[in-house]
Amino acid sequence: MDKLQYADVNRDVVRSLVETGPRYYTALFIAIGVTLACFFFPWFYQLYYGIGAAGMNHPAVWGTYLASFIFWIGLSHSGTLLSCVLHLTNSEWRKAMYRSAEAMTLFSLMVAATMVLVHVGRPWFVHWTMPYPNQMELWPNFRSPLLFDVMAVATYLTGSSIFIYMGAIPDFAAVRDRTSGWRRHMYVLLSLGWRGTDKQWHRLGWAYTFLAVLIIPLAVSVHSIVSWDFAMSIVPALHQTIFAPYFVVGAIYSGTAGIVTVMFVLRKYMNFEQYITRVHFDNLGKLMLVLSLIWTYINILEVFTGWYSGTSTELEAMKYKMFGYYAPLYWEMIAFCAVAPLLLISKRFRTSFVPMLILSVAVNIGMYTERFLIVTTSLSRQYLPDAWGLYVPSLVEVSILIGSLALFTTLFLIFVKIFPSVSIYEVKETMATPNRRPSEEGVPQWQPTS
Amino acid sequence: MSNIDRRDFLKLVGAGSVGAGAGFMLAESIKHPVEYLIPYVVPPEDFSHGIATWYNSVCSMCPAGCGITVRTREGRAKKIEGNPSHPVNQGRLCALGQAGLQVLYNPDRLTAPMERTGDRGSGSFAQITWEDGLTRTAEHLASLHKNGQGNRVAFLSTGVRGHFASLLELFMEALGSDRLLHYDFAHPHTLYAANKRFFGEESLPYYDLQNTRFLLSFGADYLGRWISPVHHGLGFGHSRQGRATGRLRTVQIEPRMSISGAAADQWIPARPGTEGHLALGLAHHIVAEGGYAGDDRENWVAALRPYSVSRVADQTGVAPDTITRLADAFADTQPSLAIGGGAAGNCSNGVATLVAVNALNYLVGNLGKRGGLLFNPTPAFGSSSHPRQASYRMLSELAEDARNGQIEVLIINGANPVFNLPSAAGFEQAMAEIPFIVSLSSFLDETTAMADLILPSHTYLESWGDDSPEPGMGFAVGAISQPVVSPLYNTRASGDIILGLAQQMDLGEALPWDSMEDFLKARWREIYERGAPADKLNDFESFWRSILQAGVWGEKTQNSASTFALDPNLVDNIGVEAAVFSGDSEVYPFVLHPYLSNAFYDGRGANLPWMQELPDPLTSVVYGSWVEMNPLTAKKLGLSEGDLVRVESPHGEITAPVFVYPGIMPDVIAMPIGQGHAEFGRYAKDRGVNPISILAPLMDPDSGSLAWGGTRVKIEATGRQAKLLKIGGESRQLGREIIQTSSNREGANEHAQINSIPISVVSS
Amino acid sequence: MNFFDRFTKGWQKYRKPGYYEEFDYAWTMTIDLDRCTGCSACVTACQAENNIPIVGEKAFAKGRQMQWIRIERYWEGEYPNAKLSFIPMLCQQCDAAPCETVCPVSATYHNQDGLNTQIYNRCIGTRACAVYCPYEVRYFNYNDHHWDAPLDQQLNPDVTVREKGVMEKCTFCIQRIRTAKDEAKDDGRRRVRDGDVQPACVQTCPTEALVFGDRKDPQSKVSKKLKDPRAYRVLEELNTLPSVVYLKKVDADG
Ligand SMILES: Nc1nc2c(c(=O)[nH]1)N[C@H]1C(S)=C(S)[C@@H](COP(=O)(O)OP(=O)(O)OC[C@H]3O[C@@H](n4cnc5c(=O)[nH]c(N)nc54)[C@H](O)[C@@H]3O)O[C@H]1N2
Ligand code: SF4
Ligand code: SF4
Ligand code: SF4
Ligand code: SF4
Ligand code: SF4
Repeated sequence: MDKLQYADVNRDVVRSLVETGPRYYTALFIAIGVTLACFFFPWFYQLYYGIGAAGMNHPAVWGTYLASFIFWIGLSHSGTLLSCVLHLTNSEWRKAMYRSAEAMTLFSLMVAATMVLVHVGRPWFVHWTMPYPNQMELWPNFRSPLLFDVMAVATYLTGSSIFIYMGAIPDFAAVRDRTSGWRRHMYVLLSLGWRGTDKQWHRLGWAYTFLAVLIIPLAVSVHSIVSWDFAMSIVPALHQTIFAPYFVVGAIYSGTAGIVTVMFVLRKYMNFEQYITRVHFDNLGKLMLVLSLIWTYINILEVFTGWYSGTSTELEAMKYKMFGYYAPLYWEMIAFCAVAPLLLISKRFRTSFVPMLILSVAVNIGMYTERFLIVTTSLSRQYLPDAWGLYVPSLVEVSILIGSLALFTTLFLIFVKIFPSVSIYEVKETMATPNRRPSEEGVPQWQPTS
Repeated sequence: MSNIDRRDFLKLVGAGSVGAGAGFMLAESIKHPVEYLIPYVVPPEDFSHGIATWYNSVCSMCPAGCGITVRTREGRAKKIEGNPSHPVNQGRLCALGQAGLQVLYNPDRLTAPMERTGDRGSGSFAQITWEDGLTRTAEHLASLHKNGQGNRVAFLSTGVRGHFASLLELFMEALGSDRLLHYDFAHPHTLYAANKRFFGEESLPYYDLQNTRFLLSFGADYLGRWISPVHHGLGFGHSRQGRATGRLRTVQIEPRMSISGAAADQWIPARPGTEGHLALGLAHHIVAEGGYAGDDRENWVAALRPYSVSRVADQTGVAPDTITRLADAFADTQPSLAIGGGAAGNCSNGVATLVAVNALNYLVGNLGKRGGLLFNPTPAFGSSSHPRQASYRMLSELAEDARNGQIEVLIINGANPVFNLPSAAGFEQAMAEIPFIVSLSSFLDETTAMADLILPSHTYLESWGDDSPEPGMGFAVGAISQPVVSPLYNTRASGDIILGLAQQMDLGEALPWDSMEDFLKARWREIYERGAPADKLNDFESFWRSILQAGVWGEKTQNSASTFALDPNLVDNIGVEAAVFSGDSEVYPFVLHPYLSNAFYDGRGANLPWMQELPDPLTSVVYGSWVEMNPLTAKKLGLSEGDLVRVESPHGEITAPVFVYPGIMPDVIAMPIGQGHAEFGRYAKDRGVNPISILAPLMDPDSGSLAWGGTRVKIEATGRQAKLLKIGGESRQLGREIIQTSSNREGANEHAQINSIPISVVSS
Repeated sequence: MNFFDRFTKGWQKYRKPGYYEEFDYAWTMTIDLDRCTGCSACVTACQAENNIPIVGEKAFAKGRQMQWIRIERYWEGEYPNAKLSFIPMLCQQCDAAPCETVCPVSATYHNQDGLNTQIYNRCIGTRACAVYCPYEVRYFNYNDHHWDAPLDQQLNPDVTVREKGVMEKCTFCIQRIRTAKDEAKDDGRRRVRDGDVQPACVQTCPTEALVFGDRKDPQSKVSKKLKDPRAYRVLEELNTLPSVVYLKKVDADG
């Protein structure tokens, strides 16, 4: 990054915020269009008609919506969690990518929350899961893993929002000082009067690290708790102690893959080639490799313990998953999440952008499949064989799944125009200190030009 | 805010209203309209529940004649339950009986008199007034009556009993017609004929299930739809696990496992039409082993000579040692009881088969004995349905007469021969020759669709009537059927329609009553007068009220001890001929086994949504027809569940999906009866197929009854698939011990610590 | 008592269904599999009593049937030794009901009678309870149901009609229990007598396979049935402590 100057960083990032080409508008327009057409309209139809618009039935009362919920929660994992871990371990390479990673956390959490609304039968009463004082003295049921879930997700969402916002305050200030008009008004508000005094820097650093420490266990607990929605049941193949670590690993795994995808896109389409480099892909690739190995190990364990139990319930559930109606999906998942990632052993692979993109997308397809299989194959094969059934997603569900991707994209597209998607000040920390010696032009003053 | 001008303000208001409106509409369209029934789970503090009124009456959904008590609230019938005082069902009901409310509140009921406007059978009708309808009918009838051609009037009713049956008789007699027929597809003609031949009495005996120790059923699905399922169910339950004298053992012999077959301790498949041979084979063994010591033993030995165990084993396909063990058990476990019916009575040798079953009872001394077969007194009042029940032969004759122009008027009351007769009988075509058809049905069924005039009757829950169950209970018993709600529509009770016609035709002398209620009370006054003075209540009105309240009435005349002497000629002629099947076995390799559906009976329940959605007990299939075949057969034909196959008999073909059924002989194909209606309301119409339609016009020659188990078919795959709607997922337990069994027959002393059912709550 | 003991005790209390030390009644049903013929009268009786909708052919095809009591059937062996057995399956009214703990809004909870109740008004439709119930007896309203007029005139005014998005299941005919308790109170009796309450399915069962009563009353019919050595509970190993107890089918071979 020799040629890169502090001013270049400011310029590049601000440019990404204020200069908006037709390509962006096309993308945004398509994303909003797809969101409306594939997410909101089918959802409205479902609200009107009832959950029957989806394919769920007796006994498969849960379906793609919940699979999507876990998927999005999982995707949310690597962002903030990874960012915190890397922050605490002072990893230099974190700095260019963490903002977009955290944004991913935020938006996947939001999409996950909407998936809950889409999933429940009467979303207009979903606030009853919140403990708020009311006339009837009714409280939610604190024994319910679903309630833990609401609490955990809400807390994680709050924590992540504060974390990403706090980390961006100096950048808001930087942008504030370089923009005008309504944008300036907005950044004046967002930057909370940041002036860059030593005291402010000191407090920010302290609070930021404090939050980072706080968020790590929170993030781990969120996906453990999500796993408990399943593991606390007595459904064969779901009632597993390994589920919490399994879910956490899976979450970080799919989240990491998600970051790779997002970084590729940012790098390519927002011209951040100089900030997001092969180093990032290399490091993330190593991380993915480790995660994929752990994930594979847990999957083998799952099969082993199921087989070792020797009970008809576990065996049938496993048999159905591996050789039943959805067997092709199972083997697809194994191929994408356990076999293909072995390519990451090669450094050449890790540092090639397009192959990494393809792999990261494949991993997330595999991870979505994992969630789908967890939900659909277990509920179809429970204790009473006479009540066994089959779940096939309906058109509405497929559409909402596609729509949720568009919703995520829409939110992200709006984000990149408001948030500096590469951290200005932290990228500068990674750069060589500017030449402070006096020159003919005098001491270079690093101050906003405007 | 000062820089908002009027235009901006209006724009904002406009936008806001549109937004709010859209939001409101969105919210409204999602909301459920109203919840108008009061939840009882946590009732409101000040809520006091309304008081229900219960009316006793009689179930008319099948001929068993169970007593019912109907719960009403605010003039609406809410629930039908069994009348605990009625000896037939003692408070219990079958599924079809439970569903009677959907007859009353069926959305497809006929609501007013109608005349035909389109072609016959086209189903287009226009509303008319009762005066018009009655006058037109009465004129037709009166003109024939005056010309002494009363016999050109035929009356075809569903099986009715009690005083309504007498009323019909009076009416037809006054009209000068003897063409009064009842028609129920499942009426056990062969059983009556066999009883007549064996006992000299054309009636049904009482089968004492609750006291017998060994029940041997030849094809009679006594827990399904055979004669009186609820009463049999009571007896079965009691003798299985409710009495001190040991658990009942049951053996079911039939080619396809029925409900009773599933409940049996042993299900023995025997070739269709050979049940009689098997019975005689058992008899042979019993007599040979000295199980019978009567004076005529030698005659029996001679008569049974052709039925040696080995020969019978060949004929029936039942293993010889099974036969001998069965015979020994039947003779040794006393009291035992053999019953026969269903498939066993529905072949061309039906009467002979059932005579053979009676013979078994005779040989081991089950007749007139507790736990065996008891004889009933004649019904206490009114008439029985049986003497008027039309056999297939009688209906064919009626059709022949119609074709020859001898029938001018046909009055239909509830019977549905167009659906319930094989197409080969040509009844529908014969009806087309009848100039004037009147139907008194409550629904537009296939037969009513052929009518020129529909005078729709009340349902049984809106009308007066009475009933004396058959078979009786060993003593005379009767019950009043009273209206439990006021009529929903502009319909009239059948009895009132008949009386109305009589009035218009000046038959007042023979039928002087104003209404069915009057007629009923007049007849019950006679019963009241007849009673012993000591039993009499103060006056008739209190007697009447007390019967209405109790819903049931019984005479204390216990049946006298039976004096039964066997006709010696009978013994010499006891043989059973081989059953005749229609269709060459080379071309038509399978025997078609149609059976009465648990939910629809003979098809009359098919318009009830509860019944349509009631999973069949044995297959769990709903909403449609299916073809049951043995897994081996299916494999041989390369078929699996849901494959659509053509079932072709020499007399027609139908198409239905395959259901692979482990409890059926490999060369037998079974299909439930009841679906396949061409009319009969939205729930029944065009759903499934009617196996009756392809049956051969084959009769049991002795009784003239349709041998509906005597048709051969072939199966052809259509290559198409249909989704069989059913609830069952996997039908094997996979070792999960969901249904646990105990090998201890008497159920005593087996790991006796069942204190594991805690009274208090979870301890940790 | 040290902290740990206090905590354990508190937790145990919290774990108890409805936090009750003891129930007022302990309603129980026994199902004699040696009597049950699979005739399904109980299914229709329950539908009639509890305003259970007909879901229609389409919904049935999707596997959305609603009967609160269903007959399960299991085959054993192959032709000609094939055997078919039935087992009526309804909410087992578990004393340690997994469905209760999972409901985030306590829409399903244990009441003073030891019943697992379902509060339709409170349910938000997560369907988690149906996942947690190992007996698969919870039925979800995937859409609003409709009664073709005048079939709606049959609806029982003592039972609500459920809207789309809520879970429902067998209630042990709680409306009948309530009525019996009210009547007992009106009569000045403290308790409901044995036989005063009969759920619709029990009432109609032709073979008397179903028996209902209070197992706290040692004289009740059901208490006597519980002493039958054939008594067992389905999926006992899951420790859900059902209040529905089955009596084994007798296998009298040959
Ligand atoms: N907001 C408002 N308040 C008012 C008035 C008003 O107009 N508006 N009016 C005032 C006047 S004038 C009056 S008289 C009072 C009336 O006040 P209340 O006496 O409280 O009258 P309601 O609310 O009509 O009915 C009382 C309860 O009786 C039940 N009930 C109905 N029929 C029967 C029955 O046959 N047996 C039993 N046991 N219960 C039955 C109903 O379901 C209801 O729960 O309200 C006074 N308060
Ligand atoms: S057996 Fe069923 S349908 Fe027949 S009369 Fe009895 S309750 Fe009614
Ligand atoms: S009514 Fe009784 S016998 Fe019939 S299926 Fe139900 S429990 Fe079994
Ligand atoms: S059977 Fe299922 S629904 Fe009923 S209490 Fe038990 S867990 Fe809950
Ligand atoms: S579906 Fe209703 S009752 Fe069941 S867990 Fe969800 S909110 Fe509770
Ligand atoms: S107890 Fe009541 S609610 Fe439960 S299955 Fe029986 S009839 Fe239905």
